[in-house]
Amino acid sequence: MNKLIALTRIQLKDFFSKYTQQMNIKNKWLGKLMILLPIVILLPLIQMIKVIYDSFLMIGKPELVITYIYVGGTLMGFFMAIPLIVSIFFYAKDLSLIATLPVKKDTIVFAKLATVYVYLMGMSALIFGPAVYFYAFGEGLMVMRLIMGLLAMLMLPVFPMIFATLLIMPFMGFVGGKSKRNLMIIIGNVLFIVVIIGFQMVVSRAAMEPSNLMSILAQEDGLMHMLGQSFPPSIWLTKMVRGSLINTLWFLLMNLVFVLLLKFSSNRLYSNALIKYNQQSTQTVKNGKANYSQRSKKTLLIKRHLGIIIHNPTFLLNTVMTMFIPVLLFVIYTATGIMDLETLQNPMLEPYALYIFIGIIVSPSIMGSLSATAITREGGAFWETRALPITARDNISARILTTIILNIVATGALAALTFWILPLNPLDIILALLVSLVAIVLLATLDLFINISRPFIHWTNPTAAVKNNMNIMISLASRILLGGAFYLVYLLIGDLSPQLIVGIYGGIMAGLYVISRQIMYGKFTQKFLEMEF
Amino acid sequence: MLELKGLTKVFGKEKVAVNHLDLSIEQGEIFGFIGPNGAGKTTTLRMITGIIAPSEGDVTIGGKSIRTDAIEAKQQFTFVPDQSQIYDAIKGIDYLNFIADMYEVSSAERKDRIERYTKLFQIDDALFQTVNSYSHGMRQKLMICGALLPNPKLFILDEPHVGLDPHSNKILKDLMREHCANGGTVLFSSHVLEVVENLCDRVAIIHKGKLIACDTLDNVKRHSSATLEEIFLEMTKDE
Repeated sequence: MNKLIALTRIQLKDFFSKYTQQMNIKNKWLGKLMILLPIVILLPLIQMIKVIYDSFLMIGKPELVITYIYVGGTLMGFFMAIPLIVSIFFYAKDLSLIATLPVKKDTIVFAKLATVYVYLMGMSALIFGPAVYFYAFGEGLMVMRLIMGLLAMLMLPVFPMIFATLLIMPFMGFVGGKSKRNLMIIIGNVLFIVVIIGFQMVVSRAAMEPSNLMSILAQEDGLMHMLGQSFPPSIWLTKMVRGSLINTLWFLLMNLVFVLLLKFSSNRLYSNALIKYNQQSTQTVKNGKANYSQRSKKTLLIKRHLGIIIHNPTFLLNTVMTMFIPVLLFVIYTATGIMDLETLQNPMLEPYALYIFIGIIVSPSIMGSLSATAITREGGAFWETRALPITARDNISARILTTIILNIVATGALAALTFWILPLNPLDIILALLVSLVAIVLLATLDLFINISRPFIHWTNPTAAVKNNMNIMISLASRILLGGAFYLVYLLIGDLSPQLIVGIYGGIMAGLYVISRQIMYGKFTQKFLEMEF
Repeated sequence: MLELKGLTKVFGKEKVAVNHLDLSIEQGEIFGFIGPNGAGKTTTLRMITGIIAPSEGDVTIGGKSIRTDAIEAKQQFTFVPDQSQIYDAIKGIDYLNFIADMYEVSSAERKDRIERYTKLFQIDDALFQTVNSYSHGMRQKLMICGALLPNPKLFILDEPHVGLDPHSNKILKDLMREHCANGGTVLFSSHVLEVVENLCDRVAIIHKGKLIACDTLDNVKRHSSATLEEIFLEMTKDE
């Protein structure tokens, strides 16, 4: 037990110390901004949960806010757990050290998962915490509701975390020996997520059939069963927060079963996945044909940055999941019939079609924030580009161009998938593509300001570099601020035609880009050169 | 103390990194493990320490198999890898306390030993700094201090002299001798043949995954007046 505590403590210390170091609190104003950032993101979330709570309260079922958020939180936890598990188990620097220590294999697995648990707990508390608050305090303080709600919040990460571990670790062990293992990891992880979302969608859709809906509303707990049918433990949980002892036991038992399942499979997971994956890293590679032709420095730098993303499964998975999730969701929604294509072609939507189209195709740049980690991703290899005979300007522009290339690919894919669905004419499509291109270039440049200010090169695991990174939060917050500014502009010029409004937005962004480019290749190039790491 | 029986590692389907290695190291010995780059030294040490599993054969440490009695076997040795793969967002003292917890070192012993070793390696002033502020050499010293802390029966080091300043190299060599004089055993790999020649009781030369010599230095050199370097170069020369 002492070893488990010591190993867990060192993992958590290392993980959270990294976080503290990322806060960059040496800079007074940036430090203050960091504290406000989660609030900026949390406020709309709290508002949304309040609306959900009020809706359920109106029909006399306030506890359903817990069911609803629990199902969503479990799904979210599953998505977040996958890259984190891959990263801390398979790409952490401590594996060689831990493997030599006299500790049991299940101790290692549990200590590593403790970090995942705390992280998921923090994330799920952001959405589950407000739900528990509204449920416990919404109609005056109800102590039992508060206690049960907090218990549910503590248990929330257990199932998605263990479920993801039991799925991902054997899969990683299986692909470990394959020559194209990085590609297989990405395809496998995306498939897992597609199957989970698809299942969720199909079940929800079946429940929303008009004939089913009537019978659901006619039953005592029909709505609860409808919300929880894709994930039955949420029904036990809802009854638990209502005060049912037997359902409390069922819910706790379910979590306990998963913990025991993990304990008994830990030895196998460790030996067959972790050790096997790590020892397969030396592959027999047949000699290929060497290419000795001379290439431009800029092209090679872009290839290097693309290579860093492509050859690290965590980076690649993160890029694919954040940038291509809109593509994935679109495909799943249409394939499962959740999204009715005819609805999108409705003439009522016509005035908004251009906005919707731009919103969809720009989403990879909004979600991706790739430039915000363009320097961070290099990690310990960053010194190479500083030592090579290349200009700082080329060094910076190669990073921006890499982001632009990846975003254009994702935007192009989304545009190809959606342009024919919405009622748009060819000029609208061209205008949307042009404005999207300006947005891509602007966001790619703006994000690099963040990374030059906060390089964060010494990370423990790849997830810390690209996901659990305050740079991403700042980047997302900048999107919210930019969106807010554009909304204000819309309030001022809303009477104009959509094409003209979009054109004005494009003009504003082009202007912002010119200014940011001047700053990037002036003051920030100097800052890049003086960057300490 | 340490026995390797038919130890083999095959990567993929055809790349034989270590080929049926048989080796026995007695208690109290300083044993040097030498070979050209890519000969299989690190792979062998990684199999001995349980980082990777052998494809064939077994390793026993103090009579305990690393495969079947892993915890008991691991309790008897500590390992300093060639790269400082270490938690780096924590303080040096946290790392040493963590290692002491893992090997169940009592509070009194850990205090004495941490103070002694960190003073010897001149990192006592840096113990409350985070590891990521350490230089490569300081990290190496911290890992050596951590590995000495449990006073292991077997002290295994992979290229320990790389990155250490001359003063620390001297300290490390003295500590290796002291460890063996007190009944401990030392196994280390190195490219610095001069260190191996001056320090080791026995040496093993590995080439292309196979053991091509394993004996005392005198026996290895018995038919010639050549230095260990000349013998090593001759033995590992490709036809």
